[in-house]
Amino acid sequence: MNNMPFNMSVGSVEVRTTNNRGFTPEEVAERCTDKLLHVSEQAPPVIRDQAVAYKQQMTGVIASYMKQAIQSDRTTVYNAIKDAGHLKLAEYIRNM
Amino acid sequence: MCTSFKVELLKGIHNFTAASNVFKLALYTNSASFNAATTAYTSGNEVNGTNYTAKGNAITTVTPTSSSTTAFVDANDVVFSNVTINGVRGALFYNEAASGDPTVAVLDFGSDKAASAGDFTVVMPTGDASNAIIRIA
Repeated sequence: MNNMPFNMSVGSVEVRTTNNRGFTPEEVAERCTDKLLHVSEQAPPVIRDQAVAYKQQMTGVIASYMKQAIQSDRTTVYNAIKDAGHLKLAEYIRNM
Repeated sequence: MCTSFKVELLKGIHNFTAASNVFKLALYTNSASFNAATTAYTSGNEVNGTNYTAKGNAITTVTPTSSSTTAFVDANDVVFSNVTINGVRGALFYNEAASGDPTVAVLDFGSDKAASAGDFTVVMPTGDASNAIIRIA
């Protein structure tokens, strides 16, 4: 039986920021796939290229569904604001 | 990683599964001086700006797991929404629910970051045995 080495490590974080706006669905989708799938620089080129292509496809699909979710939420917000008697504001939000 | 955290793990002070443990991320300017000897949250040199609340935002951690011989804790990205903050150089990952707000780790952003009437997101690494935010190998 051998003694096992014991190492504790902290992962590297990144910071992403915006000015005068929020993040776009594409920006968030890219972070999402970065979180789900890490492609090693040391991976064999054929496998790495396939993984990168798959990741790009996933990013597109996720961004598309995020846009649907935003649009759907906007419908909910529109109706809530309209029901509160603020039709003009509701229309502004619907047209964003 | 803070040395005190290693000791506190052995004392059972931190539990990344229990809902009663509230882990948070506080942001600091480049005047802050943190290292492995940092033991607890401090308000000194914490950033100050529109919509930023002192003591920072909660970190949602994922139940610890393992892959091969490495145990790790994953965490969701931490978003500070619609903030105006400047000169943000790093962060303290700490446990607000434990007595004295003990630290887990010091995170250095590498350079000063800023957001103006926008979102400031600390992006956590991929949750695997090679990259996760906290790993024990």
